[in-house]
Amino acid sequence: MPWVTAIILLPLFGAFTMLAVPPGGVVQARVHAFLTAGGTLALLAILVGLFDRDAGGPQFEDRHGWVSQVGLEWTVNVDGVSIWLMLLTGAMFFLAIAYACFRTPDRARGFLGLLLLAEAGLLGLFAAGNLVLFYVFWEAMLIPFYFLIGMWGGSDRVRATTRFVIYTMVGSLLMLVAILATAFIARDITGQFTFDFEALRGIAFSREESIWLFAGFAIAFIIKLPLWPFHGWMPAAYRAAPILVTGLLAAVMSKAGVYGLIKIGVPLFPEGAEYFQYHIIVLALAGIAYGSVVAWRQPTIRMLVAYSSLAHLGFVALGIMAFDNEAGQGAVLQMINHGIVVAAAFTIVGIITERSGKEEIDEIGGLANGAPWLAGVFLIVAMASLAIPGSNAFVGEFFILTGVFRHHWWAAAIACIGIAYAAVYMLRLYQSAMNGPRKGADGARVEMRLRDTVVLLPLIAAMGVIALWPAAIVGGTTRTVERLMAPAQIAADRPADQIRAGVAPNPPAAALPLPGDPVEAPQEVPTQ
Amino acid sequence: MKVVPALPPLIVAAGACLVLLLGLVSNRRIKRDGPLWLGSATIIGAAVMSLVLWGDRQEALGGGYRADRFSMLLNLVFLACAFAVLLLSTREPAGVDRRGEYACLLLTATAGMMLVAGAGDLIVMFLGIEILSVALYVLCALEVWRERSLEAGLKYLIVGAVGSSIFLYGLAFLFGATGSVQLSVIGEQLAVASFTEEPLLLVAIALVASGLAFKASAAPFHMWTPDVYQGAPTPITAFMATATKVAALAAFLRIFGSALTDLVDTWQIAIAVIAAASIVIGNVAALAQRDLKRLLAYSSIAQAGYLLTGVAAGTIKGAEAVLYYLIAYAAMTLAAFAIVIIREREVEDGDRLEALAGYGRARPVLGVVATVAMLSLAGFPPLSGFIGKFLLFGAAVEQDLTWLAVIGAVGSMVSLGYYLRVLRVMWFGEPEGGTPRKMLTIPAPGPARSRWSASASARPCWWTSAATRPPPCSPPDPRSAGVGRAPPWGGGTRRPGGRSVGP
Repeated sequence: MPWVTAIILLPLFGAFTMLAVPPGGVVQARVHAFLTAGGTLALLAILVGLFDRDAGGPQFEDRHGWVSQVGLEWTVNVDGVSIWLMLLTGAMFFLAIAYACFRTPDRARGFLGLLLLAEAGLLGLFAAGNLVLFYVFWEAMLIPFYFLIGMWGGSDRVRATTRFVIYTMVGSLLMLVAILATAFIARDITGQFTFDFEALRGIAFSREESIWLFAGFAIAFIIKLPLWPFHGWMPAAYRAAPILVTGLLAAVMSKAGVYGLIKIGVPLFPEGAEYFQYHIIVLALAGIAYGSVVAWRQPTIRMLVAYSSLAHLGFVALGIMAFDNEAGQGAVLQMINHGIVVAAAFTIVGIITERSGKEEIDEIGGLANGAPWLAGVFLIVAMASLAIPGSNAFVGEFFILTGVFRHHWWAAAIACIGIAYAAVYMLRLYQSAMNGPRKGADGARVEMRLRDTVVLLPLIAAMGVIALWPAAIVGGTTRTVERLMAPAQIAADRPADQIRAGVAPNPPAAALPLPGDPVEAPQEVPTQ
Repeated sequence: MKVVPALPPLIVAAGACLVLLLGLVSNRRIKRDGPLWLGSATIIGAAVMSLVLWGDRQEALGGGYRADRFSMLLNLVFLACAFAVLLLSTREPAGVDRRGEYACLLLTATAGMMLVAGAGDLIVMFLGIEILSVALYVLCALEVWRERSLEAGLKYLIVGAVGSSIFLYGLAFLFGATGSVQLSVIGEQLAVASFTEEPLLLVAIALVASGLAFKASAAPFHMWTPDVYQGAPTPITAFMATATKVAALAAFLRIFGSALTDLVDTWQIAIAVIAAASIVIGNVAALAQRDLKRLLAYSSIAQAGYLLTGVAAGTIKGAEAVLYYLIAYAAMTLAAFAIVIIREREVEDGDRLEALAGYGRARPVLGVVATVAMLSLAGFPPLSGFIGKFLLFGAAVEQDLTWLAVIGAVGSMVSLGYYLRVLRVMWFGEPEGGTPRKMLTIPAPGPARSRWSASASARPCWWTSAATRPPPCSPPDPRSAGVGRAPPWGGGTRRPGGRSVGP
């Protein structure tokens, strides 16, 4: 069965059939969206069950011709990194749709349909097996988010969407140029015109080509991530979007940039990645520091969580750019952790702002008095967010810091300061909102109700499971991360005992020279 | 002399004559509905004939017309555009009193386009271009009571005549250089003899490219486009933006892509520069437009630039990309104009951008159609506009025209600025009511027919139906009194004896 294709197409199908729901059919729309998202999640769960955790390469590949004249193919597959991100996407959108079903926004059909469209776009992005398909989904997911922010957003939404689109499109343009350039340069080297990730692995780009191509991709990824100082779109979009969409942007969409870095940037252009390693590490550290400091001074809960998310994503980028197997695995785990934690945090923010009508930290206080359950859940989430030992985020950050320390101890040291700052702003938020004298709304009004529990309970449960049994995810990523990191580790001249996967030279040494090519020895690519 | 392969344009031409005659029938029903039915039948007949002739090349009219896959495919595109425009203009004021002439001119233009696409020699190509141009001059000016429309017709006539004469001049030089008007013979001549740097041929190339660029509204020969597109009746604008551009690009491919293919090094840079200029000028100028028809006009200039990128590549791949993009372009442009036409029926000045404010919420289906059309025009994946541009730019990069592909890619990003603005107004804007479209009343044929039939077309009456306001230029016809206000959702009322065109 074409599992991966089915998983991508099911929400897409659900989004289009949403048009068949009669206008005003809010109940049908809710049931429809709920069943579609649930079905997608169920298919994903089955796929995770069938997935071979000890294989490094792509699995469950579906390959069909599309526009074969220019080498376009529908190639979708999963590997040890993408499957977890797809699971995260499916779960987050399922919870988001459940959340939306309990608080139906106006024009529910459109809202739920666009959510499903966004889900299809993100699932496709994580499953894409070639560069063009990746680009297609990268762009396609922009549209539903554009409309979700623009039509259901708060004040200033038009400016926010414009900025969001401009930033993203600048990155996309560079990426598109880099994609075409990659394919044409690769054709000159291997004689094969292809966009396929696997076929492009191990191609001996010259150092200069590799640097330029990596830069083209990396800027798009860094904007999407976002890393300081390319985060200009983020505050406006996070502030203007409906809280549900803000949660999805932070929990899922930000992973697209990180995923691009680990799946395309580092393995396909190792020399470029090695050249820019320090640049990106510095940006990631700056992002951790900047996010933490700015979060500390934010006046609203929503923006505090938003900036804390910026800091956490800096950790993930740091883990990837260390070119270390453990740090890479930690980065993948931390992507999942961050998604879960930030989704829970935004859900709580949503509950508080919706019921109390206040967003400013100064105007909320002493909620724990009337809402002990909410305070308890909030405490768990806050602890997870600042990665206290025993929480799920601790495992991820520990992996990352161990790996980073091995090669760049100074980076790990600076990053640790970020953890300390996380304690400052998260505890400040917890204390002023939950403890202290009562201000603003009555705690009893914001207490968790059944519909909140339905969303928060699975998130808390997931945090607990990952904290107690991180190997469930980490074990499944080992081979893939080793495989993705190996080219960059070779380029960075790491000792051989740290490199655990080989890279076959491309084109293979045995390949015949092309007709018309001057006969020359293929460039040697050191292999393990 | 074989005629059968030339049947598709001949069917359309014959249909045009018959439709014209239908306009003379005194039966009102036939006069009203006949042209639509007969026009549709003609189009379907020609489309079936094109499908029957699908296959290897057959020549007709002494080699003057070629029926091959290229021309038959384009025939289908022309016919589809003409059919869509015919349907879109059923309730348009331009066509209401002169349905026969309207449909006749539309079909005549279509026949001319089919001749261009299938031309086997230079004379037939020029004939085709003239037939389509003359028909369009009249169509542009058909709403004679609007100054804008007359202006558009006059401008198009003058500029079009200049373009045609430049083109004809170029064809004469081409004939002078090669000694033949047959495209195939020209191609053979150029293949065997070395014509590089031959001044006669260089002049010919320059003139032919300029003349066709006029027709394709490519920069720097685009000046007429915004005014004409804005002034002409909107269905005619849609027809010009799609079918005429397809015909001009077909002529480009016929002359440059096949006959002059051996001189590709000579003309490649010229076409590439035209393409780049069109992309830049079209996209940048469109950013500043507040009128949808002008916006789409500038966008069509930019789209001509993308299409010429494929021509400039000068390869089979480039030509395939152009054909694919032409079809996609025709579909998405027709969809975009259809939205304008529908909105124009509902409110006054429906072509202003503000007229669409909040329209997506009011009419979700039309909103989704407009969204898909705009995103596709902008080249957003995974829509056809993206695939078309991908093919075009890929073909250009393969021929070392990377700079042109980069300009095209940047241009597409810039174009998002104005396409998304349309969507923003449409979905995020607060709906404004807009002034409901006033009704156009054309007096009924009756005793006063001889008097009115002449002046009705020249001076029809805009009838604000609020009884309190005296009609501004009312014919003293008692039957016209008491017309209810036109409902904003359309649906004009019909009264015995008089015909009123509803919004």
